[in-house]
Amino acid sequence: MPDILSTGSSALLAFQRMMATTSNNVANANTPGYTRQRALLGSRGGQDIGPGYVGSGVQINRIERLADDFVISRLRDSASELGRLSQLSSLSSRIDRMVSDPASGIAKPLSDFLDAAQSLSSQPASSAARSDFLGKAQVLAARFRTLDGQLDGMVNESTRRAETLVDGINTDLREVARLNGEVVRALALGSNAPPNDLLDQRDAIVQRLSQRIGVTVAAQDGGALNVFTNTGQALVVGRTASTLAATPDPYDPGRREMSLQTANGPILLGSSGLGGELGGLLEFARDVLDPAQERLGRLATAFAQTVNAQHREGVDYYGDLGGELFTVTPPQVSARNSNTGTAGFTASVSNIGALNGAAIELTFNGASWSAVRQGTGQALGMTGTGTVADPFVVEGVSLVLNGAAAASDAFLLRPTAAAGGGMQVQITDPNRLAAANPVRSSAAVANTGAASIGTPSVLDATNPSLRAPVDIVFVDANNYTIDGTGPFAYTQGAPISYNGWQVALQGPAVAGDTFSIGPTPPRSSDNGNARLLAAVGSGGLLDGGTVSMSSDVAGISAQIGSSARRADLARDAQSTIDTQIQQERESISGVNLDEEAANLMRFQQAYQAAAQVIAVADTVFQSLLAAMRR
Amino acid sequence: MRVSTTSLFQQALLGMGDRTSNLARIQQQLATGLRMSSAASDPVGWSTAVAVDRAVAELEQFGGNATILRNRLELADASLDQVGDRLSRVRELSLQAANGTYTDDQRRAIALELRQQLRAVVDSANTSDGTGRYLFGGSADAVPPFAFGISGASYAGDQNRRSLEVAPETAVEDVDPGSEIFLRIRTGDGTFVVRQDPANAGAATLRATAMVDPSAWDGGDYRVVFNAGNYQVLDAANAVVGAGAFVAGEPIEFRGVRIIVDGAPANGDTFAVSPAPTQDVFSTIQNLIDALETPAVTPSQRATQRNAIYAGIEDLTRAQEHIIDRRAGFGARLNTIEQADAGREANGVLLKTTLSELRDVDYAQAISQLNLEMTALQAAQQSFVRIQNLSLFNYLG
Repeated sequence: MPDILSTGSSALLAFQRMMATTSNNVANANTPGYTRQRALLGSRGGQDIGPGYVGSGVQINRIERLADDFVISRLRDSASELGRLSQLSSLSSRIDRMVSDPASGIAKPLSDFLDAAQSLSSQPASSAARSDFLGKAQVLAARFRTLDGQLDGMVNESTRRAETLVDGINTDLREVARLNGEVVRALALGSNAPPNDLLDQRDAIVQRLSQRIGVTVAAQDGGALNVFTNTGQALVVGRTASTLAATPDPYDPGRREMSLQTANGPILLGSSGLGGELGGLLEFARDVLDPAQERLGRLATAFAQTVNAQHREGVDYYGDLGGELFTVTPPQVSARNSNTGTAGFTASVSNIGALNGAAIELTFNGASWSAVRQGTGQALGMTGTGTVADPFVVEGVSLVLNGAAAASDAFLLRPTAAAGGGMQVQITDPNRLAAANPVRSSAAVANTGAASIGTPSVLDATNPSLRAPVDIVFVDANNYTIDGTGPFAYTQGAPISYNGWQVALQGPAVAGDTFSIGPTPPRSSDNGNARLLAAVGSGGLLDGGTVSMSSDVAGISAQIGSSARRADLARDAQSTIDTQIQQERESISGVNLDEEAANLMRFQQAYQAAAQVIAVADTVFQSLLAAMRR
Repeated sequence: MRVSTTSLFQQALLGMGDRTSNLARIQQQLATGLRMSSAASDPVGWSTAVAVDRAVAELEQFGGNATILRNRLELADASLDQVGDRLSRVRELSLQAANGTYTDDQRRAIALELRQQLRAVVDSANTSDGTGRYLFGGSADAVPPFAFGISGASYAGDQNRRSLEVAPETAVEDVDPGSEIFLRIRTGDGTFVVRQDPANAGAATLRATAMVDPSAWDGGDYRVVFNAGNYQVLDAANAVVGAGAFVAGEPIEFRGVRIIVDGAPANGDTFAVSPAPTQDVFSTIQNLIDALETPAVTPSQRATQRNAIYAGIEDLTRAQEHIIDRRAGFGARLNTIEQADAGREANGVLLKTTLSELRDVDYAQAISQLNLEMTALQAAQQSFVRIQNLSLFNYLG
């Protein structure tokens, strides 16, 4: 018959364990990731003593872990999104501040440079105005270099961060695999004894993994948890963990791409589809950092080429045609590390209007070359044969092929990403700034007719006879000769082109009237070219001639600002969602101290009652003994 | 809904954290006075502000250009004003010297003052622009543009015209090159000149010349030859175009031209009628000086002198008119600059207002927002303190 003693001691044991569980909850109230535990009581079976069943006490059936797996999986997904968006948002904000701040952005120095050109046009002979213009040019070049350097620094930083993340992820993967082994072993000992603390530990690590790389899980029957990436690659299967590696990019040893080391060799993980901080990092590099560098480089290239072209059309204070004012780094072509041929490319920008800047992959299939956009694979039109006389032309870049390529060789063309980093001012002598027009016109004072000649403009600065003195002589009122050639019919106001310049005559002329066009001498205070330099910022240039450089600067700020803003808003939204899910989880699994205090009192009372039962059993037994004593 | 102890704290912390970050943002706005700290705050507004910034900077540059141009034009106008005064003085003296009662010595004395006036006019033509360059040299203005000597006027400048922008799409021309002011001056009446042949032996003087019918004038060279009381008008091929008896003081007309000759011409005396060439103002004055320094005793010499003075005063008048025209041109440009100034100022105010609306913080709104956040933060903090020490454990034991 079940006696009071055994019933009482079962109760004592049970309530003791319940108090232990409660005190464990209280102790772990602030432990992150802790799921509260609850001991489930069940009564021991009864014994039939004839007139009925008498129960034999209480036992602890199970110590239950109050966790809702669905909420936990939602929390995991949210952590992955939040990790991704946090990285994206914080890094995008840094670039946004870099580009927006007047002390580090491009808008102010560019505006100052154009202002200095305007000042130069008002006082071309002043050495102060010339020095100021040169100074502003150097400030602008330095700013492009600094900004590009900072962006390069962010590329390096992203690489370092990715490597650190990968190390952390690999550690976590090994830990999950180990815990899988332990959980399986523990469950094999008895399915009613789930190893709650190990499960909590494993959940916490998987949560961290999700924040770092974004994972989905599948529970196996033995208790193991299989972990996969968002795109379905297996990271942990049972007790085996894969290794993530940040391998050098095939086109650029300074960048990394993610791959999974498996028994069959490395599997490349595409940069899109990964979640978590790693996904955010890769997305940032692909969608914000690279485009920012490419657009800024495109602006630098367009600016340098346009200013140089205009500068070459003028003469400096020494009377010589203007030279190159700015240089930028030319487009970069890098070979894939698996190439077997000996080919190389020399690249230059030939058409600013068609320049885009995004990276282009060039592949050789054994017979011909093709160009596709890197990342999307969109095919791009490429003309030409690659020789110096007929270079490949794709999106405004001309490529000359050197050497021989083997089949499936590939190259990466980055037209503008490196341009700003190499921007230099080539002129150091302020008197070498070409502010004046190269040719000037005059009418002989002795002319009897009333015709006048306008200011000549330059059509082709490379014409070798541009600055040869030329006379326009009227043979009669309606015909004139140029430099002895002609005669040509005279139309008032119609432009006359010769030797690369163009000029117009107005008014009636008389036979013998002479007009001369000659070279601008040294020490001239003409401002024609300086005025054209000042107007360089507002002419349509980029995107087929529809966007001016001043607009492009504003456009770049807006584009980067929008990316940062989008990321910020998305992160804020996800943060709210994450908080809500966390509260849901806490509501199910979190420890409420008041509840535990009440439970503690309850079990304490019950324990005291059970202790009384033991005391009564003892008294009963003593009575029996006393009755039996002689 | 069951609330765990941890989530109670988390909630309170989150709330306070949000309020604090809002406060920090508003405080930065108030401290810098800017609503936008970077393009992310308002990408479209930011890029608009960048464009407006550029426009404002451009306007300032145009203002600088306008000031420089205005100074140069005013300086040039003042110089030409002085030149005009001197030319008036030369005219006055020449008219005085044309008086028949003056002796050679008196005329030579006047010629002396004319020489001084000529030097002064050359100096005015070589006015410096205050920055080490010369005002009337065109764009070859590093050296003084004008020199006048025995071989006549020489010009070291060029004929290049500079322009400067003083407002969007408005360019104003700089000071005219000196060649156009002092050198390219038409003589005579602007279209034709009548000059006596230097070999004339008679005492015929030119009284008046006029263009009565411009459509009949063909721009050719003609000669009016006097012979035995008659005159003949010959063209360049020596064909007779007009003839008649000569009466002193009566008009001779041909090809739309009317000339009146007075006095007694000798046989063979000729007056040449030809299209007016250009002549520099310095030579014009020099011609008058030469005329006054030549002795005039015989009737023929006196007639020659009088004709020379007549020609000189005609040319001088053209020079004076020419200078006034140039000054009118400067005046028109100064007017344009003034209008551009007004336009720029109005534009500038508009642009700066737009910029302020885009970028500047509305202090009233920001401060009331600040108060709101501060109140909320205080409420959150105080309520947290009240709640956090409520626990059943406080009442146990």
